[in-house]
Order: sequence, then structure tokens, then C-alpha cells
Amino acid sequence: MQDVHKKRSSVFVIGLSFIFLLFLYRIGTLQLVDDKYEKRAINNALNKITLYPARSVIYDRFGKIIAKNAASYDLFVFPKDEKVENRLFVQQILQIDSNQYNELLTEAWINSKKRQKNNAYNRSAIFYSNLSQQQYTALRENLYRLSGFYIEPRTDRAYEIFGGAHAFGYLGEASELLLKEDPYYQPGDLVGITGIERYYEEFMRGAKGVKTVWQDRTYKQRGEVQDEAFNYPAKSGPDFYATIDIELQKFAEELFNGKRGSVVAIEPSTGEVLAFLNKPDYNPNDLVGQDRARSFRKMLIDPKKPLYNRAVKGVYPPGSTVKTVLALIGLQEGIIHPGSTKGCGGGYRMGNIVVGCHPHGGPLDVVGSIRISCNSYYCGLFREIIDHPKYGTTHNGYRVLERYWRSFGLGDPTGIDLLGESSGNVPTVERLAKRHGKKWRSSMVISLGIGQGEILLTPLQLANVAAILANRGYYIPPHLLKKVNGLKNNGLKQEYRTKKIIPIDAKHFETVIEGMSQVMKPGGTANGIGINGIEICGKTGTAQNPHGKDHSLFIAFAPRNNPKIAIGVIVENGGFGATYAAPIATLMIEKYLMRDTASSKQFMIDRLKSTVLEPQ
Amino acid sequence: MKYQSSSTDNNKMDIWGVFFYILLVAIGFINIFSVTSDVNQTSLVLSDIAYKQLFFIGGAVVIILTLSFANVVLIDYLSYYVYALVILLNIAVLFIGKEVGGAKSWFGFGGFGIQPSEFLKLATSMALAKFLGGYGMRFSGWKNITYSIGIFLFPVILILLQNDTGSALVYFSFFLVLYREGMPGYIIILAFWMGLLAILSIVFQGLEISSYYLVGTILGIGSIAVYFARKSRQWVVLISFLAVSSAVFSTLVGIVYDNVFQWYQKDRIEIVLGLKEDKQGMGYNLDQSKVAIGAGRFIGRGFQNGTQTKMGFVPEQHTDFIFCTIGEEWGFVGVIVFFSAFLGLLIRLIQLAERQSDAYGRIFGYSVCCILFFHWFVNIGMTIGLIPVIGIPLPFVSAGGSSLWGFTLLLFTFLRYDQVRRN
Repeated sequence: MQDVHKKRSSVFVIGLSFIFLLFLYRIGTLQLVDDKYEKRAINNALNKITLYPARSVIYDRFGKIIAKNAASYDLFVFPKDEKVENRLFVQQILQIDSNQYNELLTEAWINSKKRQKNNAYNRSAIFYSNLSQQQYTALRENLYRLSGFYIEPRTDRAYEIFGGAHAFGYLGEASELLLKEDPYYQPGDLVGITGIERYYEEFMRGAKGVKTVWQDRTYKQRGEVQDEAFNYPAKSGPDFYATIDIELQKFAEELFNGKRGSVVAIEPSTGEVLAFLNKPDYNPNDLVGQDRARSFRKMLIDPKKPLYNRAVKGVYPPGSTVKTVLALIGLQEGIIHPGSTKGCGGGYRMGNIVVGCHPHGGPLDVVGSIRISCNSYYCGLFREIIDHPKYGTTHNGYRVLERYWRSFGLGDPTGIDLLGESSGNVPTVERLAKRHGKKWRSSMVISLGIGQGEILLTPLQLANVAAILANRGYYIPPHLLKKVNGLKNNGLKQEYRTKKIIPIDAKHFETVIEGMSQVMKPGGTANGIGINGIEICGKTGTAQNPHGKDHSLFIAFAPRNNPKIAIGVIVENGGFGATYAAPIATLMIEKYLMRDTASSKQFMIDRLKSTVLEPQ
Repeated sequence: MKYQSSSTDNNKMDIWGVFFYILLVAIGFINIFSVTSDVNQTSLVLSDIAYKQLFFIGGAVVIILTLSFANVVLIDYLSYYVYALVILLNIAVLFIGKEVGGAKSWFGFGGFGIQPSEFLKLATSMALAKFLGGYGMRFSGWKNITYSIGIFLFPVILILLQNDTGSALVYFSFFLVLYREGMPGYIIILAFWMGLLAILSIVFQGLEISSYYLVGTILGIGSIAVYFARKSRQWVVLISFLAVSSAVFSTLVGIVYDNVFQWYQKDRIEIVLGLKEDKQGMGYNLDQSKVAIGAGRFIGRGFQNGTQTKMGFVPEQHTDFIFCTIGEEWGFVGVIVFFSAFLGLLIRLIQLAERQSDAYGRIFGYSVCCILFFHWFVNIGMTIGLIPVIGIPLPFVSAGGSSLWGFTLLLFTFLRYDQVRRN
């Protein structure tokens, strides 16, 4: 047979070659133009799994565990792979309705987009945090058929001892703002919100680790990536030793039962806070796990304000407690000397103004004025100081006084390692001018002399005054961190290792301290409240306030020589300083100094524990 | 010369044909081995699928050895009988076959399955060669043309009945063989024109534009052409006929597309035509397949390092989408090597076909070449997103016994024929 179409073979060869080149060109455009497909392939197959570190375990100053960590489980989702047919099941386990489910899913979509920006390998997001044990078990058993869902373990707080809630603070989920500011955090991360948990967040949180795994199309893990750069373990936060003596703390909380107010106890020589109490308070275990959000919302609207940290945020008129400070200033400025006496006719009179005083024998010297807490003495002293001719004007005189007050840490934050500390209030000349007119005179602001009027202190500042008195003229800013092993200077800032000196001679302190010692003795305002065998130096305060009954205040330190503890107590609406504040302070001193022996004043303890000023 | 005795063993089987075959099977095995190996596996441990493939390769060697003893006269002589037998098997499978993946095209033997349609290509090639290669046969006259087209369209019907659309398409490669044997070139051009019209009318459908616009445009262009060609009556008639039939054809395509195709088939077509963006459903496979190939860059991500394919982002990674592994792990360099091997084999087959002393050998050779080409074209075109996803294997490379044995039988029957019959 004749082959007439032999030429067509070359059409085949050329045609085939052409099509091969065409395909090759197309493949070239996929492979050679840029690396976008390569990146997508890597993103597809790698999943960076965050390994959550354990937070610092918190110990008290004697090494008792206060807060440790417990495993908790969060449910994560790849929103893209979540399946409609599984919804009912998941809703049942989590006990949520379909609306809530859709909300959670929408949130997860948004978060997974955000997460991708930070971490290109992860398209999953938290769906439901803090699964209960029941939920965890039910989900884990069925996880294999719940497309797109997985469970990630992390740690949450578990409190061994419920005490010092406001000092230690609580954890919460990272806020939107924090997520924006710090790429370390991912939605759902637990961070310190208040207390030392917040202040020392950066090292208490530890460091997250990463496990990078191959994952297939169904997000099933297919083994770890064998590359050290992609895998590193989580680092736990270092052990955190707080300055709090938890036994003292618990004791104070019991004494404070049924009362509103605050106690701060400080070790004077170091500034270490031994007890830090606010009432009303909350049980830290309520702000843990699944109930966190619900309890928190409840606490926020609770009229008793259990979350309110009075010790650093509440401001109170200090009342007579600051007479000690005024006496020191008068002595240092040479306006009075220890023997200076003043008479008191049951009150201080200037024209038609009378500042009342309680009946006592007169005339009194400095020591006696403190023992008796004579209002007339300090109204007079206040005027003598600021009106003293050596300052030229009353306003200049007041400025000298204000400088002294501020050197005692009044009117400024003490610098404790908590956020949101209030300055209290020590009014400036200008502030007083606003209130009393430009040409205000000493008689108009005379109540400042007895700790009333514009002067307001936080309970922490009050305790710090006690520490200064104990130290005879210096203080170290109070703080809650005792040590973190392995950190430079045990993690203590420079400020917490430096004395702040008050420009008043030590001998003047001895005069005032003698007065404070006599407060506890016959003829003193807190007679009978002292503790046998411990020389306590104290000063009562009874502060008038616009919110009802007088506040009961007390500052104290002990022992007189080489003091170990200084304390400031405020019992809101508790009446006389000697009624509630003073016994609480002395009992705490006894507890701290003689911890192993039974109290000599058990009846006082029982009385305080059972006295309910306001229903809790 | 023409019918020389079968035992001329001083001739060897074509060395280039065998070489390209071995190269392609090796490329296939390496990539099957790689893509089915464990995720972090870098040692040479074979997966189950790779073991199976080794077994299939062993079987292929047995087929080749058996064929090397085959009597060439019998190949020619038995053509029609083989065709008839395989056709019967393919009818039988419709009744007693088992269904795999929606296609009722398998005979099950215990754990193994055999797809009789794989052998239909060989049988059809032999029958067509026998018919067209008959003494004094010319590709002209309605009767001859009808018979020869009928020889390969009948299998298409059977395969369509087996619900295996992909394999059915392959038989259109015989049109290329007919072209070589003298089918007028304009038929191919006409086929292109019809294809273009079909795509256009699907695009119009996809964009939900009324088909009247398409018909109107065709008739409008036709009228203008008639106006310019008005001097020649012949041209006027031809153009008018073309325009009217094109209009009718595109309308018919529209109707058929709308009513006959399943939604998922429409989806695949519309995604390829760029009418639909769908990265989750149908488009997902295509998208991931492109990502895999693109990820290979110039030199590839390396043996056993192709995560796209290994982690299952690409479907059917070791069978229909095996090319993705080549692209991902060996890069552009690997693609060039593989393409060279395949094109080398095809061109060698053309050379071998052309050197045959008889029409039977030539037509058979072209059939083999065109079938292999068509498989390659559809398979690669699918992975790089140029044509819709149609599940057909890549000859010699995709994992699977039926396909490897079928193609080996096809290629080596011809190589054996060539060994004995070449000039």
C-alpha cells in the first residue's frame, strides 16, 4: 500500500513538541516566578503548637505554698474545618445554645485571622477556655470525629491557701489592648490582672515553648519537625517568694471578720509587707477556671466591692495617728522641745471655732500629748509651726510642713509593687487657697493638725508611717516581693534596697516613741490593749468622716527596741481607735512575734472574730 | 520480505524505546516511594504501596518477557479476535463487575481487581490497524470512514456505560491516528472550531448571558463574510452553511450542557474556565495541586520532602496526581527530565511507526503513541489547571497494576512487532 501521507509525521513531531513546550511554560510560571506557592506549601504542612509554661509558684516568706498551678484544658478550633453536623454534639457537651455557639465560632474566626498575622503557621483559635473535667473527658473521647477541634492543655492557678487575695491578685484572659501591644500573648492566654501577678507578670508567666509538627490535610499531626529551631520547651516561671506571712495574714482576716477596712503590716528594717488585707475581699479560688468570668462579673457589680484594694486605693483621714508626725516636725524645727507644755480646757478655741478634746488632766508635754491624744495641743502646735515668724508667712510655714509630710511618704505613692496605688492627699498651699480663698489663714485649716480636713492617707501610707517611727527616721518602700532565686538581687528593684531618710533627728523620735509607748499604759488611749511581755508603741486615731460613724485607726510597732513589725489598721466606722483597730494591731503583733505560744488575750480574739459591724 | 519468519532474534528490541520505558517506570517508582513514605522518614523503608508497585513492576517484566517470545504473525492475525474478546469482557463487566469509586468497571479476584477497559486500548489499536492496514485499503469512502471510526467509538460507549468518563475520552486520540492515515486536515480544524464554540457557549451559560447573543454574533459575522464573498456562489453557500450550523451547534451544546451534565461536572468545567472561584470544594484539589508544583521552584524540595503531596493536601498523590510529587520534590529540573523522557518515547514511537514496512505496524505504532500522548496531555493538563479534573493515570508513572500492565502490554506488543517486522 502506498503511503501518501508520510509528510504528516513531521506535523506530529512538531505538534507534540509544541504542546510539551506549552505545558513546560505553564509549569515555569508556577515554579519560577516567585516563592508564593512554596510559602503556601510550608504554611499548609507546619503547625506551631504553643507549649504553655507553668506560672511561678507563689510562696509566703516562710516557704509555704500559696498558689500553684493546675492543668486546665482549652478547646481550640480550626474554624475552616468545623462541621455543621457536629454542632449539636459540641453544644450539648459545653451546655450552650446555638446562638452562643455561633458567637464563639465568629470570635474564633476573627482570632484565627489575627493569629495568622503573628504566626503564619497557625490557623486555629481558642473556642472555649477552661473546660470542666466532665467536658474535657466527653470531648477527648469524641475528638477524633469532631473535625477541626482539638484540646490544648495549659495551666491555671490553684490556691493552696485562700488569703491575701488583693496582694497576690488574680489572673484573667489577655485583653484586646494587651493582645495588640504585646505579640507574646494570644487570645485566651491567662495574664496577671492585679496584685503581684500583674506587677511581676513578665517573669511570673515563664516563657512559652513551641512544638512544630507536620500536619496533614485533616490537621492530624504526623510527627514532630526534627529541627531544634522549631522545637523548644516551655520555661516555667521561677519560684516567687512573697514577703507575706500567710499565717499572720489569715489571722488578720479572721480578726477582721464582719468589718470593713484594711490592715498593712510591714517589717520596718526591710520594707517587706508582712500582711496586706482588705475587707470585704474575695476568695481567690472563685477567680479560677470556668467560673472566672461569671464570678468576676458578679464581683464587679457587688455593692460591697470585694475587688476594691482599699490598702492602696482607699483614702482616709488619718486622724490622731499623724499627731506623731506633727510632734516630730515641731521638735525638729525647734518650735517646741520635749518639755513644752500646753493647757487644754476641754478643747481648742479660736473665736467661735472650737475643736473639742476629751477630758484629761493638763497641762501636757509632748509625751503626754501623745499618750492622751490631746487635740488642743496639736491644733496649737499646728498653728505655731505654720504661723512661726521665721518662715515669713503662714503659707511659707505651711510649705515647710508639707515638705516634711511628703518626706514621710504622705501625698505620694509609696512605690509598692502594685499598680494603681493612690497618692492619698496632702494639700498644697494652692489647693488650700482654692478651698479657703487666696488669703487663707492657719485658723481656717486648723483641722489638718489633728489629721482631719484635706489630709487623706491610704492604709499603706499609714503603716509606712509606723515603719518610719519604728526605724527612727527612714523607710524602705514597702514591697511584696521577698526573693526570686536566680534573679539578680533576688529580683528586687534598686528602690527596694535603698533607705529613704527622713530629715528628722533620731533623738526627737525617742521622745515621740516614749509617748507611743505610754499610749498602751495606764492613762494612755489604748490602755489595757497591750500584750504582756512585748513593749508595743502605738497611736490611736478616731477619724471623723462624712460617711457615718468615725473610723477606728491605729498605728503601732513592736518591740520598742529593734522593732520587727510595724502596722497600720483602719476599721471603717469602727468608732474609737482603741475599740477595734488597736486590738487588731496588738493581737497581730503578738501573733507575729510569739507565733508559737498561745495568745494571752484569747478573749479579745474571740470578741473581734464575733463582732460583726456589717453583714458580709 | 513482507512476511518473514517470526524467529529473527538477531534483531534486538528497540533500545531507545526500552530505555525511555525503564526511565519512566523508575521515575514513577521513586516518586511513589517518596510520596507514600513516612512523614519524617528519610531512610529507605518502603511503604505498602511502594511494595505493591514493585510487585506490579515485576509483573510488567514478566509481560515483557512473555511478549518477547510472542509470534508476530499471531499479533496481526489475532487482532479482530482479541478485539471481540475484550469487547465481550467489557460488556460482561457491566453485569458482573464490582463498583469502585462510582465506576462499574472492575472484575474482582480476591484482593485484586482487573479493569478490562485497560486492555480495550490495545485491542482497539490492533483492530484499527488491522482494518486500515488491510491490503489496498484507503481512508476514503463513507463506508471505510464509518467502519474505522466505529471501531473506536463502540468501546467509548461501553466505557461510558461503565461510568468511566475519563477513560472514554482517550479514544478520541484515534482521530489523530486517522489524521496520519489521510483524514483531511480540515476535520481537525473543524474539531477545533467546534471545541471553541462549545467552550464559548459554556462560558455564556456560566456567565448567565443569553445564548441568543452568541448565536447572533455568529450569524452576524457570517453575514458580513457572505457580503464580502458575494461574488462567489460557492463561498456564499459554504459560509452560510458554516454559520448556520455553528449557530445550531452552539445552541445544542448549551442545551446539552444545561440538561445532561451533573452539577459537579459543571463545577469542574467552570472552575477550569475561570468562571468560578472555589478554593474549598472542587477547586481545592486543583489549587493544592498547583501549590504543590509551584512549591518545587527550580530544583525542587528534595526526595521525600514534598509536604504538599506527602501530607495529603493533594488528592490521589500516588496515582492520578503523581506529577505533583515530581514537580514538588524535583522542581523544574525534574519536570524537564520527565518531560524529555516522555516526549523522547513519543517521538521514538513515531520514528518506529514510520519505519514499519507494513501499514498494520505503522497504524499500531501511531495508536500507541497517540494513546500515551493523550493520557499525558489530560493528566498533566489537569494537575496544572489547564483542563478539568479528569481521573486518568499517567502512563508508566502512576501507581497501580492495571494501568502499568495495560500500558506495558500496549507498548511492548508494538516494540515486539517492531523487533521482528522492521526493515
